[in-house]
Amino acid sequence: MTNQMADMRTEYGKTLIEIGKENPNIVVLGADTTDSLKTAGFGKQFPERFFNVGIAEANLVTIAAGLAYAGKIAFASTYAIFLPGRCVDQIRNQIGYPTRDDNKGLNVKLVTSHGGLTVGADGGSHQQLEDIAIMRAIPNVRVLIPADAISVSKLTWIISQQYGPFYMRMARSETPVIHSESQEFEIGKGITLRDGSDCTIAACGITVKMALDAAESLKKEGISCRVLDMFSIKPIDEELLEKAARETGGIVTCEEHNIMAGFGSAVAEVVSETYPVPIRRIGVQDKFGESARDNEISLLLEKHGITSLNIAKKVKEIRSKS
Amino acid sequence: MGLNYYKIKRNVLKARKLVIKGTIAAASGHPGGSFSMAEIMGCLFNKYLRFDPKNPLWEDRDRLILSKGHASPGLFSNLAVAGYFDPSEIETLRKFGSRLQGHPDLKCPGVEFCGGSLGLGLSYSIGNALAAKIDGKSHRIYTIIGDGESDEGQVWEAAMAAAKFKVDNMTVFVDRNFIQQDSYTEKIMPLDETLEGDDLSEMWRDASRWKLSDKWRAFGWNVIDIDGHRIEQIDHAIKKANQTKGVPSIIIARTIKGKGVEHMEDNPQWHGKAPKPEMAPIINAELESQFMIAPSIIAGDMSNLENEVKRCAEGRADYIHLDVMDGVFVPNTTFDHTKIKQLRPLTVIPFDAHLMINEPVKHVRDYVDAGCDIVTVHTEVCDESSFGEIKDVLQQNQVGVGLAINPDTNLPQWSHKFIADLDQLIVMSVVPGKSGQKYIESSHEKTQNLVKILKDNKFEGTIEADGGVTLDNVGQCFVDGARAFVGGSAIIGQKDVRGIIREFRNAILKSRRRLLIQKANELGGTELVKNWISLHVIGEKKNQLIQIAKELGFN
Repeated sequence: MTNQMADMRTEYGKTLIEIGKENPNIVVLGADTTDSLKTAGFGKQFPERFFNVGIAEANLVTIAAGLAYAGKIAFASTYAIFLPGRCVDQIRNQIGYPTRDDNKGLNVKLVTSHGGLTVGADGGSHQQLEDIAIMRAIPNVRVLIPADAISVSKLTWIISQQYGPFYMRMARSETPVIHSESQEFEIGKGITLRDGSDCTIAACGITVKMALDAAESLKKEGISCRVLDMFSIKPIDEELLEKAARETGGIVTCEEHNIMAGFGSAVAEVVSETYPVPIRRIGVQDKFGESARDNEISLLLEKHGITSLNIAKKVKEIRSKS
Repeated sequence: MGLNYYKIKRNVLKARKLVIKGTIAAASGHPGGSFSMAEIMGCLFNKYLRFDPKNPLWEDRDRLILSKGHASPGLFSNLAVAGYFDPSEIETLRKFGSRLQGHPDLKCPGVEFCGGSLGLGLSYSIGNALAAKIDGKSHRIYTIIGDGESDEGQVWEAAMAAAKFKVDNMTVFVDRNFIQQDSYTEKIMPLDETLEGDDLSEMWRDASRWKLSDKWRAFGWNVIDIDGHRIEQIDHAIKKANQTKGVPSIIIARTIKGKGVEHMEDNPQWHGKAPKPEMAPIINAELESQFMIAPSIIAGDMSNLENEVKRCAEGRADYIHLDVMDGVFVPNTTFDHTKIKQLRPLTVIPFDAHLMINEPVKHVRDYVDAGCDIVTVHTEVCDESSFGEIKDVLQQNQVGVGLAINPDTNLPQWSHKFIADLDQLIVMSVVPGKSGQKYIESSHEKTQNLVKILKDNKFEGTIEADGGVTLDNVGQCFVDGARAFVGGSAIIGQKDVRGIIREFRNAILKSRRRLLIQKANELGGTELVKNWISLHVIGEKKNQLIQIAKELGFN
């Protein structure tokens, strides 16, 4: 890992064009945020396969469903706050539900940006903290939260090739590059970024970097942490989690999301049924966010305990109990 | 070319009966909205949709998207009639393990959209239409939305998007039945104007209060307003919509919720409720006894037939009866196909051409080309071979097949093999040749006897009473078994054609109500009669039924 930063949305837009060149069935839809989502470039390249529906997210999702029903692979993108939260009915009934034979759900990829608290200055109304909960409760919908721009590129390719509904959330700001270009991704498989034996830190999205930082600082105190990038929240890598529980005896989860029904809950569901060990869930504690300018976002995260420091604290807490 | 009017009508009836069967078996479901769109569905399935029930996913099929998904019985019944599955499957409607879910589901062959949550079908249709454009496909998307569902904001998001993307490979219907779950649409969320009082028929009387078309026009759509139960209007509207390029088209079909069953019509209660099983035979009998009024224009001003056609149209005739006389088969001469061709553009009302001419086989093609929707020829001038040829020509052109018999003629033996193919049998109750004659009384008995012969030979058409039919005897003609009624001087000879047609309808309705009361009595005695009458809560129907029941000796 270097200290390199990269922008997820830029990577997403670039990848869509690459995929669009190879696959004429790719269509891209936006809702007046196509510059921001970086999908406008696809529109310039393939105007006949690009639809900007204006500020009408329900329409966005449902037109995408219609295109997918007719055989297209539809990428529908806008800010996270406006898709799962605003359009749960359309996503449930028009993307998750329609099933014919082995085709479960329609072939729509909901890719959002501006997930979580790090939206920053736009404030609580724009900070999507419930999308994991909403999306993972809908059958047939798979949920991905990539940790960096490389993940975004790889996962965009993968979901364009796998039939069915996907939800993928990106962050607004540039994020540190975590993975190498050679890293392989598979839906339903977590990635062990760092091995360890004393505790596991399972993270997703921007918290993966925090997990790595926490592990590094704990190492100095003689605590060996395993760090998992659980970008695939649904399906989740049960095997990897069970193994981590068994081999490290405790798991701290970290997410930029409400801890209610979010990523930590998903981990707890698996672990409690396979190999129960103490778990601590770091995330927003059933609260809404608030404005924070870019140079204040660390304060906002700190307020909600989403920091490497807090991760390290929770790791020690678990260890003191076991 | 022909309208295929009879095939559509027959299949609409079959579908309506399946809706009753299905909702009764399920003990729930939505008959009201299934019936309001029945003719729209019928036109689509039997004339416009390109599909293959053996290959439901055929790539080039047209897509039918029922956005108002609660009307699923109306969709499933048409899929059954169209051959996607056996009609008996309708009895699994809404049951555990069935492909016929409470709302349309891709599980069921022929279903293209998972309906249920309202307001989504138009957006979804746009997606399908855009995909077809990208792929350069010529198939069409047909979408039916509800008026109640138009409360949903997403409908209007989609309306804007369709205009922006110039979605012209999609034809949308609004089933404007004026009723949503709670009450009349104009009370819950007006699309036209707020309804004062409880009389929904107010909304039909004054077109200046209709605002829904303006709304769609303002959104950039090509808007076509029609009576959504008139097959010929639906047909014409689809044709126009499908020819319109560069803008999306919507057909605002003003309909009646529960259409076809008097106690369901315009009654919000029947939005989402199944009939009681014991009512099924009465409901079916009522559905089977739809009727048509056919003014005969030769009884009017022969020097201005154009005006007579106009009067028929303004009078809301179901049919326009055209008596073609050649001066040979009958002493008089009226007009021939050239006149009919001139009259054709004046209206879309079906042309019911009655050829009182010699050697009709030589001329039948001319009448097809002139735009007749049904052509009736006389048995007296046909034989097995010539009628066979006539029938083939008509059927190939989707024109109805009619046979007529004079008062002193019985159905010849050779005709029996054609009975199942007949769309219409005209039973002449005067000697043909001129207008204004008196009804020959023995025709009542003759018609009643014919009903039996026709039934034995699988007749699926309509008996048309022609000659001397008046307000006084039309009720008895209905009892005899006639379901279409030609009115010469009794209708077209009157000043107020619309008024007299209304009176004819009322006379027939009264006769029909009497028959249905008798039917109820046969099936379940006075108890069933009483229960059936008590279902008629809207308008004046109940009082009239009570009156008829009294006349029949029920209290």
